[in-house]
Amino acid sequence: MHFVVVGNSIAGIEAAIALRNRDAHAKITVVSYEHDHPFARVALMYIFCGQMRLQDTEFYDRELYARMRFERVRDLVTGVDPVAKRLSLKSGSYLHYDRLLLAVGSVGRRLPWPGAYDQPGMHHFVTLPDLEGVNAMAKPGMTCAVVGGGLIGVESAEVLHLRGLKVHFLIREPWYFPVALDNAEAEVVAAHIRHHGLDCRTATPIDGMERKGGKMVLKMPDEELPVDFVVGAIGVVPNTKFLEGSGIALTPGGAIDTADNLESVSTPDVFAAGDCANVTWPDGSRRPEQIWYTSRDQGRAAARAMLGDDVKYRRGTWYNSAKFFDIEYTTAGFIPFAAKPHKHQGVGAPGEEAHWQTWYQQVPGQAITQRIVCKDGRFVGFNGLGTRWDHQVFMRWIHERRALDWVLAHMNEARFDEEFVEPFRVLPSATLVDGA
Amino acid sequence: MQAGLLDTHHNAVSTRRSPAWVVTGLLVAFYLLLYFGKEDYNATDAAVRYARDPLNLMLVKLGWKLNDNGSLWVFNKWYLYAGLYTLGMAVGGYFMLRKHGNSTYHRYRTYSLVAVQAVLGLMLPLVLDFLGRPAWYFSYFFPLKYDLFFPYNMDHMQPTVMAWFIVMSFVGLPLLVYFKGKRVYCSWICGCGGLAETFGDPWRHLSDKSSRAWRIEQVSIHSVLFAAFAMLGLVIADGLAPEGHAIHNFANSYKGMYSLAIGSIFSGVLGTGLYPVGGTRVWCRFGCPMAAMLGLIQKFGRFRIAVKKDMCISCGNCSTYCEMGIDVRSYAMQNRDIKRASCVGCGMCAHVCPRGVLQLVTRRDAGPGQHTQEWTVDL
Ligand SMILES: Cc1cc2nc3c(=O)[nH]c(=O)nc-3n(C[C@H](O)[C@H](O)[C@H](O)COP(=O)(O)OP(=O)(O)OC[C@H]3O[C@@H](n4cnc5c(N)ncnc54)[C@H](O)[C@@H]3O)c2cc1C
Ligand code: SF4
Ligand code: SF4
Ligand code: SF4
Repeated sequence: MHFVVVGNSIAGIEAAIALRNRDAHAKITVVSYEHDHPFARVALMYIFCGQMRLQDTEFYDRELYARMRFERVRDLVTGVDPVAKRLSLKSGSYLHYDRLLLAVGSVGRRLPWPGAYDQPGMHHFVTLPDLEGVNAMAKPGMTCAVVGGGLIGVESAEVLHLRGLKVHFLIREPWYFPVALDNAEAEVVAAHIRHHGLDCRTATPIDGMERKGGKMVLKMPDEELPVDFVVGAIGVVPNTKFLEGSGIALTPGGAIDTADNLESVSTPDVFAAGDCANVTWPDGSRRPEQIWYTSRDQGRAAARAMLGDDVKYRRGTWYNSAKFFDIEYTTAGFIPFAAKPHKHQGVGAPGEEAHWQTWYQQVPGQAITQRIVCKDGRFVGFNGLGTRWDHQVFMRWIHERRALDWVLAHMNEARFDEEFVEPFRVLPSATLVDGA
Repeated sequence: MQAGLLDTHHNAVSTRRSPAWVVTGLLVAFYLLLYFGKEDYNATDAAVRYARDPLNLMLVKLGWKLNDNGSLWVFNKWYLYAGLYTLGMAVGGYFMLRKHGNSTYHRYRTYSLVAVQAVLGLMLPLVLDFLGRPAWYFSYFFPLKYDLFFPYNMDHMQPTVMAWFIVMSFVGLPLLVYFKGKRVYCSWICGCGGLAETFGDPWRHLSDKSSRAWRIEQVSIHSVLFAAFAMLGLVIADGLAPEGHAIHNFANSYKGMYSLAIGSIFSGVLGTGLYPVGGTRVWCRFGCPMAAMLGLIQKFGRFRIAVKKDMCISCGNCSTYCEMGIDVRSYAMQNRDIKRASCVGCGMCAHVCPRGVLQLVTRRDAGPGQHTQEWTVDL
């Protein structure tokens, strides 16, 4: 049996390891064009600013391939022929497989401005070539725009600012990161970003871009903003262009459509995991999960499926964490978002009546907030900024259907901060409002 | 939590480029001079010579003296060294806190380290000396202070002082470490660790993370521990043996060898000299017998680094900035709590983790594997 895994990032390498752990004799080939060793894409910003080197972000030792007897192919896959069961590589050669895992991840979503990519100056911050591009471009004293108010946007804005560029952080939505934060929380984050000296603008749609006198001029409803270059951070799309026409079914968004066992719905012996796979969410919706830990789980699940196990991949309850400049963010459970209400998160049966309540407080003068969401008097979700929390404890409480008062009385048990920090306290300014 | 980002790798001194080698050269030269350079006068001589002149007496006590021609000369290099050391820690501590001072843990432990050095490592011995009493460094214990029980110390050690050193070395610290972790000493009190944490902060990421280094460490540090306790045994036997017994010679040459190889060269010249190229805790990791002893206790004690389940993004900040070369990330990725003898509890891994995955704890309840239940929540 020859397993071929395309992609040596978290999904691909975890799958390859799981394959080897179960099958000592199979031939396992791992293909990747970016780097010889698995590295943490999530740490791109730290490489850019000099906090770590690329090799510090390699999350397994360099002997892994030898120990696991993986064949390393450092090449770009340019096409898949599922009938002949072979990959075509950029170097001109072919690679045959018996079972194939595509863990090719994402690329930055391109900005829809006509002509934007015809000349230099348009950047993304997702792959190593992207990193090299921005790194070569960004010189202290330049002016740049980061377009898109998500996690990659805030990270690229931060490192560009640290390098000494004037950064315009332009967000189309009415506030920063509306899929996770509400208006009040986002305002805390935006104020913090502005405090660092960035120009952070919300509700700022950009209609287009024009190149004038060596500058890129961004057209906004009532202003034109000239910048030296642009980092597009309006999300990522599956890195599956090379699969078009191969017969492997892709969703309109470009993700590889998979069954519950992560096998392609159209093509036997082809599996997908990680950012590029279309999977089922707990609420029944079908879309990719573009996060690190689920990519890892998908990789492991796909490996079992490739070995013939009866696998059904389902992710558990939502949780995540992030960092906006110095502000750490933890979320667990269900936090409905107000800007695009209930778009993906079909809670309960459609049209179901429920009583939603939101408890919220901010520590005065500090970028520390807590938000607790209850449904019919039971705790269902938590958002916290500025302090550290153990999401597992919250998930347990949600599972135990705790009431708000009980949760508030036990909050310090969920703290995950260092010693000597102020304990959690309910402040007089805390609010409890109906609605989520 | 880490505020702002570190540009460590854009800094030539921090990244083993030529300025780092220059600093290493200077540090090594300084320590060679200190340990093997000429002792000037001895204290009693000078005290007698200058006793009638209060100004000179004071200078002498501070480690200087006025030459006959009126020029100022270093007299007692050890006080001068203690002064420089304290200054290095204070200045280094200031810069360290500029980077990491948003963390209460780092603030408190840095204050503690500098204060212990300034008071117990410099001022108290000076004052005792002024008062004509034997001067002791009350924050250094056996086996780190390997000559604590040598005859030249024991001969004039008051019983209360002796009791303090014996109780702290063999009961007090081990108990504290059992309950709170080795960090109590290595990251809050010890002057050697204190220099690493402050002055050495720009080089902490240079520690060797390979598993080979770990294997070497386990052998070397326990060998030194053995050597230190063997020496204690010899010192006792030496004291008990009748005059003229062969053991006296053996004990003397053993003590001399240990003092030279471990006391001066390893812990001093290499321990600090190698900061800019080998990371800050080379001595603490590969050589310190105290670390070995307290580490064994820590292994059975309550201290550990708890890992938040399935939240690690494998970024590597924790491992990179662990000065003891512990691959923290591999534990975090496996959701395994970290219980390592070598961990000095500096807290830097937890501090630099951008996802708040790590927490230094001494709680009794949760053991490793406590956070393993999968909570699938239906709404
Ligand atoms: C800047 C940034 C910050 C992020 N921060 C977070 C975070 O904080 N938390 C979080 O959960 N997630 C974060 N993410 C998302 C996370 O990085 C991804 O979900 C995760 O990397 C997906 O892993 P993957 O294995 O599916 O694919 P990827 O990591 O995208 O890797 C794709 C692999 O496929 C290879 N490859 C792709 N195409 C080809 C081809 N044609 N031929 C050969 N090889 C190919 C590449 O070389 C690479 O090895 C972040 C992403 C970015 C860009
Ligand atoms: S390891 Fe030894 S020298 Fe280092 S801080 Fe601990 S006791 Fe001091
Ligand atoms: S594991 Fe963490 S606390 Fe322990 S020495 Fe390393 S960085 Fe410090
Ligand atoms: S524990 Fe934190 S710092 Fe370490 S690799 Fe995981 S996310 Fe990064």
